Order: sequence, then structure tokens, then C-alpha cells
Amino acid sequence: MKHLTSSRHPWWSALLIGLLACSSEKTEPSPTPPPPGPELPALAAQTGAQRLSVTQYRRSIHAILGDDIVIPTALEPDQPQSGFVAVGASYSTISARGIEQYEKAAYTIARQALAPERRARLLSCTPAGVTDDACARSAFQALGRKLWRRPLAQDELDRLVALSTKAATTLGDFHEGLQFGIAALLQSPAFLYRTAEGEPDPNNPGLRRYTSYEMASRLSFFLWNKTPDDELLDAAQAGVLVEESGLRQQAERLLASPLAREGARNFFSEYLGLNELDQLSKDPVLFTYFSTEVGPAAREETLRLFEHFVFDADADYRDLLTTRTTFVNPKLASMYGIPAPNLQGFGRTEHPEDSPRRGILGHISTLALHSHPVSSSATLRGRFLRSRLLCFKIPDPPVNANTALPEPSPELPTLRQRLYSHLTDPACSICHLSMDPLGLALEQFDGIGRFRRRENGVNIDPSGDLDGVPFQDVQGLATAMHDHPDLTPCFVRNLYRYATAYPETKEEQKTLEALHHEFRASGYKVRSLMLALALSPAFRLSQEPR
Amino acid sequence: MAIRMLPRRTLLRGLLGGAAVSLGLPLLDMHLNNNGTALASGSPLPRRFGLFFWGNGVLETGWTPEGDGKDWKPSKVLAPLADLHDEITVVSGMKVYTGNTVPHGSGPAGLLSGASLLKEDTDSFAAASLDQIIASAIGGETRFRSLEVGIQKTDKCMSFNGPYSMNPPECSPRALYERLFVDGFVAPGSGPKIDPRLALRRSILDAVSDDAKRLQGRLGAADKIRLEQHFEGLRSLELQLKKLEENPPNLAACKAPADPGEDPGDIEGRPQLAATCRAMGKLLAMALACDQTRVFSLWFSRPVSNLLYPTASAGHHQLTHDEADPQPQVFEILQYILGELNLFLKEFAAIQEGDGTLLDHSAILCTTDCSYARAHSVENYPILIAGSAGGALRKGIHYRSVSNENTSKVSLSLARAMGVNLASFGKDAGMVTDGLGAIEVG
Repeated sequence: MKHLTSSRHPWWSALLIGLLACSSEKTEPSPTPPPPGPELPALAAQTGAQRLSVTQYRRSIHAILGDDIVIPTALEPDQPQSGFVAVGASYSTISARGIEQYEKAAYTIARQALAPERRARLLSCTPAGVTDDACARSAFQALGRKLWRRPLAQDELDRLVALSTKAATTLGDFHEGLQFGIAALLQSPAFLYRTAEGEPDPNNPGLRRYTSYEMASRLSFFLWNKTPDDELLDAAQAGVLVEESGLRQQAERLLASPLAREGARNFFSEYLGLNELDQLSKDPVLFTYFSTEVGPAAREETLRLFEHFVFDADADYRDLLTTRTTFVNPKLASMYGIPAPNLQGFGRTEHPEDSPRRGILGHISTLALHSHPVSSSATLRGRFLRSRLLCFKIPDPPVNANTALPEPSPELPTLRQRLYSHLTDPACSICHLSMDPLGLALEQFDGIGRFRRRENGVNIDPSGDLDGVPFQDVQGLATAMHDHPDLTPCFVRNLYRYATAYPETKEEQKTLEALHHEFRASGYKVRSLMLALALSPAFRLSQEPR
Repeated sequence: MAIRMLPRRTLLRGLLGGAAVSLGLPLLDMHLNNNGTALASGSPLPRRFGLFFWGNGVLETGWTPEGDGKDWKPSKVLAPLADLHDEITVVSGMKVYTGNTVPHGSGPAGLLSGASLLKEDTDSFAAASLDQIIASAIGGETRFRSLEVGIQKTDKCMSFNGPYSMNPPECSPRALYERLFVDGFVAPGSGPKIDPRLALRRSILDAVSDDAKRLQGRLGAADKIRLEQHFEGLRSLELQLKKLEENPPNLAACKAPADPGEDPGDIEGRPQLAATCRAMGKLLAMALACDQTRVFSLWFSRPVSNLLYPTASAGHHQLTHDEADPQPQVFEILQYILGELNLFLKEFAAIQEGDGTLLDHSAILCTTDCSYARAHSVENYPILIAGSAGGALRKGIHYRSVSNENTSKVSLSLARAMGVNLASFGKDAGMVTDGLGAIEVG
């Protein structure tokens, strides 16, 4: 166990030096080492095969065969579970239509990859004729290792060469023949699934670990949401990714790369459900500011802020709830009623000190997504804060619940008054008390997130209480969320699910606690947590396949 | 021609919830006999199964027709289907017995799979859905095992091969058109497709299957089952390619439809459901007439769908909960959906096959995700059946269950009407061994 637990001590100090060097705007006092926390247990997360997500498929093709390859848009859709595509990828199957789509995509891609202007990328030899087994073999050897994220066995190569030779003979063209072999590589489960078998861990008798090549994939898909690059595959081949130092070196390299920004954006987008903003449906008659560009722009704002926090400012995760900093384009700026920093595209800006907007609670992404098409929803917003940001499990409503709300009237002008029944009927209030009061604090933002003081002519009361912490307004709610003891453990739990592609078991709660200790010790720096997770036994040890 | 072996997939008990499946008479030679009542080989015309599903249930009252047997009058809600009175059977008073714990989910799981939702993940069925149980038995006869289409744009539906194994719907009429009638479609009367690439593609699929097999040996139990589903897809695709190399079926009613053009876009934030549904209806009807598949499901809207319908002041789901009784806007939405169902069924009724129509040779189960939406109830479950599955089912009647019979009985009757000889349908409280005699013929 020694080599695994020993990772706890040096990791953060080494990292802080590295990360603070690229921090442009925050000057932190030099940290003192935290008191030792709970040890990371030698406990593997669940082990199994993950389907490549649509994004991972596309990014793999572009990275390996070239950015100019046009990939068909129709691919088996992702099936998120527990909020994450990565977790759904561990459970869902590929449908018959999906198999058809992958076949069609494979030939479309193979044809482009072997077009005369591109084939030199794949072929280091000039074929001697319609068939040239040695030339085909060298192409499959190099390409196969990238696509399958491991070297191909001799018999696998033999078969690809035989298939291509047969096709080349039938069609009378070497390159056309090769297309069939590449199409086979692309349709193989070895490409479409990230599989893991593990191996006995010589350092931990009785336990298993991921192989060096499997670690390359795990690391790369976790941090980059992408297939490993050549350097990582070379490290895998050298066998260094099963060692602490080799793994650390590569994890730090990946985190320092701009590609880590893509990976982090993907995580945050899934964590907050921001991909749904593409489908945002709002009544344009009621919401004259709404247009189809709003949803994607709102997502971009939130992702830019997260990216800025993690990679540029190296800021405290909790401050995402309270910061006045944000990134807007002219459309969002007009909806926020602030000057646009750039005439076109996004730019950084600060909300005024007296603005009610604080952090991601004030983002249009949060406010519009958790609303109805024609109105705001205190319940949906409250549920998002509770279940997504604080990991509080809210049961489904009882199936026979009377969910009708009274219509607005002179007696009941505001949503707070209309929701009163949910909060007084014990059958409803048991859950709604955990959600509605938080959502009511956001009622000063309408169904698309624009600020309003009044509803039906009456001032909106945004005051409330978060688990015993009273607040007067949205700013107060943001501060209470920032300080809530469940906020950061919830973030750790979600990052863990994303990284391991499985929901944690009860036993793994110990791992989460130990990781949270390290997160806190780092000053809630997300990159530090990512590194700690990548180096943890949970990420490196494997179980017998599920 | 040899009779095909029982498709391997039907033996996957893990995926089919232990249902014992056997195949009815294979339908091989598609030439009609002189009377047009059957195929020249003596086999009857193929039977087709379909599912038409919408989200968010119905109203508390106004669904159940007056009168019983052949003397029924369409209720207020069913009025849009009045002119199809003789083609439709209404089954009322049935109940889902597999629990009602997940609003909008428990009902369809009970009706379509005879089981509760998967405990670990209530987004997934725990067992195969009726359309896939039928497709497992008869899907191997046609180019496509089954087709799933969505009218509301979505990646999800309730067509399941088993746990976590959903068949995502095709929501673009244009993409469906290309898949059916452009990529590798062979028009009736023309010769088989001669293209050396077809055989090469099949050899690649063989190699990919070998990869999958090799991999399967190294995986854990749960992933082995997932890969089994992958094999099914590969086998289906091989079969598709093989079909292209055979003589196409000579079906008089089959005419490749016109290109549907660009997909209908949203208008002022509201999707054009009617235009999409009509385009899909034409394509599906012709897909069946051309015997490209015998099983389909159409997902008009998702459970809990909050779509903005053309004149509604709020999303559908929100209205079912918040609109005051008698919920006039929810009623309007149901009229809209059932109006589209009417046009959809008329596409089928308009296609002559022998001495009947495509609708006669089909059984289309039309249903939703609960009964009364505001209460998420699963009693008096909304069930319509259009067509008679080639005379196997009675049509034009209203059967009113007075004893809250199990909805699984309907599913069992439908499977048997399709020639799938199930001994039972469903599990635990959802299990029945008898169908609903009142809707069966003979």
C-alpha cells in the first residue's frame, strides 16, 4: 500500500507551486501544510467498459485522422445517467440503428482519410501494386494503436491485412482495399468501447490495478475527454503509468495543456446539465428578449467562468457562487442590462457592486434552464440548487399529489403566495420546503433570467432561509450557498462519478471524504482535486470486471 | 427456401425477461396469390405491429366511450377518431399492477413490459418492451428489425431490448427517408443489388463480430450482456445487407415515397408536430407496405413533455398540473394529438393490400404514460388498438373491463395476434397467462 498512500503528502505542495506560477490575478499567501486528513483507502472504483460518447468519438477521429475529416452527425446518442454521459456510457448499449450509423460513419471517414490529399498521413510507404501486405500492415500497426488505444496483436494485424487485400483485389485498388480495413478498425468494439481488464498489482498483493495502457485511456478521457495522444501512449508503452511518478508526470502534463480546458468544460457542462440549453424552449411572445441564440450563449458564459476559475485564476471553487466576474456577449449583456465588453463575441466583465447577480445563481443558464417555457419556477430552481449543487436527494413526488397551483389573482399576485399550499400541506412540504424557499429567492429573475422587482404589480420578496442561515436577498442566498457544508463534498462526489464513470458505492464514501480533505487543503482548487483524483487508488486500482 | 432458424436474440433470456418466445409461420415469398388474400406460397399477408405513444396521459373524465361492444359512441376526447370508429377497438377499465412509484414511467413500463421500472435507474425498463418482444420473433424477416421514430425531438423513448438497452428514435423525417428509401433500397420488381462492396462490408462485419466475441470473453457479466446487444446490432446489419442481394419482395402497394424535403423547423419556439407526424406517417406506412419492417413505434411526445402546442399558454406537462378544471387547454392538446393519430391511421387505411388494407393487416397500440395526468393514475389506462392484425383481433368495439383487469392481458393478446406464441406476459404482479379474450378472434 505504501506507494499509493505516499501520494498524499507531496502532491499538493508540488502542484501549488506549479499552478500558482500560471495564476495571473490572485496572490495567495504561501500555504501552510494542512493537518493530515483521512487516508485514501486502497479501494477501487467500479470497473467496466464505457461506450465512447458522441463527443469522444468525434474528437478521437479528428485527433487521429485530421481535423478536416467530416464526421456524419447522426451517431448513437449519449444516454446520460446520474447526470453524466460518462456514467451512462458504463451501462447503456448500442442499438441496432446505432450499429448502422457507426458502419456508415466508418466508411465515410475511411474514404476521406484515404483521399489522395490525405493518405500520406496514414501511409509511410508507397504501395507496390494493388496489394502490398507490408505497406498495409505498417499502416494498420500505427493507426490501430491510436484508435484502439493499445497495440494490435499479430493475429489482429494479420486479419486486417487479409481483409484489405481481399477488398483491394476485388476492387482493383490498394487504397480502396485499405478503406475496408480502416472501417473495420472504426467499427470494432475495441474502438467504440473503453474496456478495462486490469492486472494483478505486484505492489498490492491480492489487489488488481489498471494496466499502463488502460491508465493512459483513463487519464486522457478524464482530463481531456479525448483519446490519448502519442506521448501518453508512449508513456503507456514504457510501462510508467502504473508507477506513481510516471503517472504524476503525465497527469501534470495533461492538466497544463489547453486540452484540459476542453475536458473541464465538458465535465462542468454535464454537471450542471448545460447541454440542455441547446433545446431551450421559451414563449417568444412573453419573452421578447428570447431567441435561439440565448441558450448556447448562456452555456458559454457559465463555461467560460468555470474555465477562468480553474485555469486562469486558480480560484476557490466556492467563489463561483459569489463572484461578480462573468463573461458575456452583447446579447447576454443586453439581457443583464450591462455594457457589452466586446462589440462581438464574449468578453470579461464585472457586475456592479449593487447588482443582484452573483455567481452562477445569477447566470441566465441556471435561471432559464430551471424554469417553465412561459414562467419561472421556484420548485425547479430550488431542486437544482438542492440536488445538483448540494447533492440532496429529493424523492419523486407522490404519484397522486395534487400539484395544481392557483392562478395569479389580486389576492395571490406572486408565486410565493401561490406556492403557499405546497409549503403548508404536510404531504407536499416534506420535500417542497427543501426546494421552494431557495427558488423563491430567485424570483426576482423571470423565466429567461431577466431581472424584475415586481410580479403582477407587487414587490417580490426574495428573503428566505438556507438550513438555518437566514438571508434577505439573492446575494444573501449566494453567500449561504457558498458557505454551505455540502457544497464542496457534492462537487467532489460529482467529479468522482465523472472520472470513474460509475456512481460511488457506500464503501467509497471513505474515498470521497479523503479526497474532500485534500480539496479543502488546497483551498478548493479544482485542478488540485483533479490531480489528487487521478493519482488516487480509486482511479488506479481495478476490480474484477463488473 | 429454408425456414430460418429461430433468431438467436429470442433466446436471450436476460434481455427478454425470461419470456418464452417462438416464431409463427415464416413469411417468405411475397408474391400474392390470385385472390390477393394471401401470398402465393399460401402464407397469409404479413402482420405488422405498431405503437403510437404520447406523453402526459388524458383528462380525468371524457375519455371512456359510451356503450359497449359494437355500439359505442366516441367520447368527447375521442371525437377526432369518430370516422375511424369501425377500425378501432377501445379497451377501458384496465389497470397497471406493477406499482405506481414513478410518475409517467410506471404506467408505460407496466403496460409495455409487464414489469416495474429498473430499480437502480428508473429511466430504464427492467425488461423488453412489447414492440421489441415482437421484433425479436418476427424482425428477422425484414430488412429492418424494427423502426423507432419520434415526433418531438428526443434521444429517448420506451422501446427497450432489456435493462439500459433503449432504441433511440429517429426524429428527422428526412433522415428516416434516407435510411429507408435511399441507402440501399431496392425497388420492388427490380433485380437484386449487384455490388461487390456488399459482400466486402459483410466480411468486415464478420471480423468486427469476432472482435466483439474475443472481447466478450474478457469482460464481466454485466458488460457481456451489453456486448450481446452489440452482436444483435451487427447481425441485424448483416441481414440488411444480405436482403439487398436477394430479389426484392414484389409488393403491389410498394412505391418509394417522395423525398419529404427539409425537416419542419420550429415556428416561434413551437415545434411543428403536425407536419412532422404527417411526414413520418407517410414514410412509416410505405416502409411497412414495402415490407422493410413489420414492427414500429412512434413516440409523438415524451413522458413529462413540456412542449408548447400551437395555441397553448404553457407547456403541456405544466398545464396538466396547473390548469384549472375542466382543463380546456389540455383538452385542446389531446384533440390535436388524436387528430394527428387519425391522419396517421388513414395513411395505413389508404394502402390496399389484397382484399384489405395495410391497417387491416396491422395492430397499432395507441396509448400514453398515465391515465389522469394530474394524479398520474394508472387505473382505467388509456388503450386503443387500431387494425385487426390480419383478422386476429376484433375491431370496432369498446371493451369495458368492470374488474380492473391487468393491462398485461392486452399486451399478451397483441403479441399472440402477431403470431408470437408467448406462454405468459410480464413478471410478478404484472404476469398474466391469459390474453384479453374479448378482443381476440376465435
